[in-house]
Amino acid sequence: MARIGVFVCWCGSNIAGTVDVEKLREEAAKIPGVVSASDYKYMCSDPGQNSLRNVIKEQKLTGVVLAACSPHMHENTFRKAAVKEGLNPYFVEIANIREQVSWVHEDKERATAKAVDLMKMMVEKVKRDRPVEDVKVPLNKKALVIGGGISGIQAALDIANGGVEVILVEKEPSIGGRMIQLDETFPTLDCSSCIMTPKMVEVNQHPNIKLYTYSEVEDISGYIGNFKVKIKKKARSVVEKDCTGCGECWNACPMHKNVKSEFNLNLSERTAIYVPFPQAVPLIPVLDRSVCLHFKKGGKCQKCYDACGPKCINFDLQDEIIEETVGAIVASTGYDLMDTSMYGEYGYGKYKDVISGLQFERLLSASGPTEGVIKRPSDGKTPQTIVFVQCVGSRDPEKGVPYCSKVCCMYTAKHAKLFAHKVHGSQSYVFYIDIRSTSKGYEEFVRGTMEQDGAIYLRGRVSKIYEDGGKLIVKGADTLSGNQVEIAADMVVLATGVIPKKGSDKLAQMLGISYDKYGFYTESHPKLRPAESSTAGIFLAGMAQGPRDIPESVVSGSAAASKILGLFSKNEYEVEGTIANVNEATCVACFYCRRVCAYNAISKKEIKDRSGKVVKVVASVNPGLCTGCGACVNACFSKSIDVKGFMDDQIYAEIKALAI
Amino acid sequence: MAKTKTDEKLQKIAKDLLESKEISLLIGYAGGSNPGRMRPFFITKPEETEKLSFGKYAVQDLAVFLKKPEVKKFGKIGIVVKGCDEKAVNALIQEFQISRDDVKIIGVECNGVIRQNLADKGETKVSESTVYDKCLICEEHTPVLYDFIVESEEPELAVSGNVKPYADIEKLEAMSAVEKNAFWAKEFDKCIKCYACRQACPLCYCSRCIVEKNMPQWIDTNSEETGNAQWNLIRAYHLSGRCIGCGECERACPVNIPLMLINEKMARDVYKLFGYKSGKDIDAKPVFGVFAESDFNDFIK
Repeated sequence: MARIGVFVCWCGSNIAGTVDVEKLREEAAKIPGVVSASDYKYMCSDPGQNSLRNVIKEQKLTGVVLAACSPHMHENTFRKAAVKEGLNPYFVEIANIREQVSWVHEDKERATAKAVDLMKMMVEKVKRDRPVEDVKVPLNKKALVIGGGISGIQAALDIANGGVEVILVEKEPSIGGRMIQLDETFPTLDCSSCIMTPKMVEVNQHPNIKLYTYSEVEDISGYIGNFKVKIKKKARSVVEKDCTGCGECWNACPMHKNVKSEFNLNLSERTAIYVPFPQAVPLIPVLDRSVCLHFKKGGKCQKCYDACGPKCINFDLQDEIIEETVGAIVASTGYDLMDTSMYGEYGYGKYKDVISGLQFERLLSASGPTEGVIKRPSDGKTPQTIVFVQCVGSRDPEKGVPYCSKVCCMYTAKHAKLFAHKVHGSQSYVFYIDIRSTSKGYEEFVRGTMEQDGAIYLRGRVSKIYEDGGKLIVKGADTLSGNQVEIAADMVVLATGVIPKKGSDKLAQMLGISYDKYGFYTESHPKLRPAESSTAGIFLAGMAQGPRDIPESVVSGSAAASKILGLFSKNEYEVEGTIANVNEATCVACFYCRRVCAYNAISKKEIKDRSGKVVKVVASVNPGLCTGCGACVNACFSKSIDVKGFMDDQIYAEIKALAI
Repeated sequence: MAKTKTDEKLQKIAKDLLESKEISLLIGYAGGSNPGRMRPFFITKPEETEKLSFGKYAVQDLAVFLKKPEVKKFGKIGIVVKGCDEKAVNALIQEFQISRDDVKIIGVECNGVIRQNLADKGETKVSESTVYDKCLICEEHTPVLYDFIVESEEPELAVSGNVKPYADIEKLEAMSAVEKNAFWAKEFDKCIKCYACRQACPLCYCSRCIVEKNMPQWIDTNSEETGNAQWNLIRAYHLSGRCIGCGECERACPVNIPLMLINEKMARDVYKLFGYKSGKDIDAKPVFGVFAESDFNDFIK
């Protein structure tokens, strides 16, 4: 016989202000099977929870209904309290009379009637509750980090330092990502490579980190604790274990003026066999077969091979597929700059001296194409006047994207500052919409650029840029003074907006994680679970989630790492028991359930007799992947699949409770 | 009855398949209880193939037998199918009920079958006014998939357009919701819940139909208003985007509920909304089992 306790929460005046809680309690007491009905100001408080526990104990309750706030808020709280009294946690049901009643209705009488209905439904449901056991999934304590920029490096190092094996996969020939392309970093002006390279080296030397550069994730299957990963290690044409990184090969390569350097954003050239930059990690060159004469001209050229001391160049090396099993994944794929061709009036790509912010970083960098001397790409002269244009693509729903790219205000202030430091007597102008400088030391930094370094900030947009007599004429508006301005500049730097890394959407589909309409990976909860993706076991870090600066990227890398270390501190992962369950006796294996499952959680299962003969094929649910969403339940014609805790008879009883 | 060329070819194919043991059971047609009827015919021995026949009275969709455990236990099966019936085989393959490797499809070209009630009265001519509505809109006089094909000896079906197939659909579409409801309430009122429609349907293959689920009993078992409406609606819904239009449910219905009006209307709507026709391609994803971000949702008000 059911012995149900109903607990009505006032939530202060949140519920009690709109719902007649006493009436609700009285109605509850009338329902057959309800042995205790009470109301209390704050059920979630310690005294509230204690009263719940006392009633469970004294009344020997078999089920509990809380008429309270959303189960998202306190279902767990009350379940834990019930478990302490020996009740299965799934015998606790919540009638949500706050979010679904008091907060959305005004008429007290009708709101109370609705609250009574919801409560009755839950009483009928709880009467039919059966114990549900959480599912335990074994964990492979190894992590995969996709993307070797600063956030990926931070995540990999933190996980590895926690004693867990890490596989770091980087698409480019070297780790370092975008940060290693930067010159100095705001607001402290420490040199990016000086603070980045020690971390890169640490990754390479860490006993717990296996590094795959020039490699891509080809396929991922499985679920939390048990992801099967296929990594394509692209043919480098260099035997890594023998290479010393001496550089004889790229010095010997005849292709030294023909290929644009990706790392220097086309501001310099590279050879066919190359390292992207001198501090590359690993310091092992890659042979770019698409431009190498050996491959283009039928094997005639082998100058690199001849020059190589240890003879580690091998033109026959093939792509390799490496298979790994990991328990958790960090997706830290970073960002690209937006294509700014839609701003024809700015002349990017047309005028050599109109460059992007990232290109300007390379001009500032001591390891860049000009060895840190600011020179115009067109004629190599040092510019005296530079115009910086903010929000190129960002905050422009018409042509670009509506979001703010977040880092541009600060790096432009830094650019103007470094320009003033490097070229004395120079002048910079900054066209901006708003200045966003909200982190520690940021506002002071921007002020310094204006006040000490003399940058002139103009609030307004640029309407046109054109070349005239070796100068770039920048026409724009200064909306504060209401004047049209025209500046003859030597160079223009566009603060181009950021977008997710090309191909990150494809990776997301492979991983089964969600992304927003711009392609940024979405968090499980934007505030409370910012490091977790929508899929268990997959974590997020860095710019792949949205615009953020270096400190934030580092924090997010560490956050993902700490989540993984926390996950791996246990030997098993507990999945909520409310997952789909197949009635194998009635399943006819039409697999519509598998077709509609968004989580690939359903597979074919063969039932065999003693002799091993297949007697029946049925659908089978993988508890690690199933989220209990119930799509399969709808798709099943014979009603052979149910979600535990939301069984057919329970739903039916709820509906019936409404009809009486 | 003299053997036709069609029959000879059919028999030869069947005999070869059985002799070579490529199949252990053949499902085809043979002469029926009167000259205007053909009946399903099950053959396991090569010498039995002599009775095998096909013609304008071969009304039944033999694909319905493929779902039966008694048939499945034979393993490799050969089946004689018209174009319409063959779509049921395709749908069964799509829905993993049979494997393409386990079925030899002997397709027969068909230019229409005579309505059984007319044939019983002695109708012998295949014409616009004697065939089923499905024959008038048939796109598969030659089956879309087959291992063997047997040509038809009937002349091509002449369609003048004077006979409008499923004419009542347009009448129903013009009705208001209240009128439609009244129309179907009257039709469903006749239902005796015999489930012949289900038994005759090649795609109703669940071993436990939803009407037989009784914990809870979603569908009332009584043959009264609620139960009848529930059953007929759920049947239609379970076949939406799946029904291949063979018409067996309507033919089986002892109280003449015009079930093909529902099925055909559903098929038209599915095609209009999703561009999908059932049973045309064994590799296609059934519309019932696909979802896309681009799916329209303007019906949510």
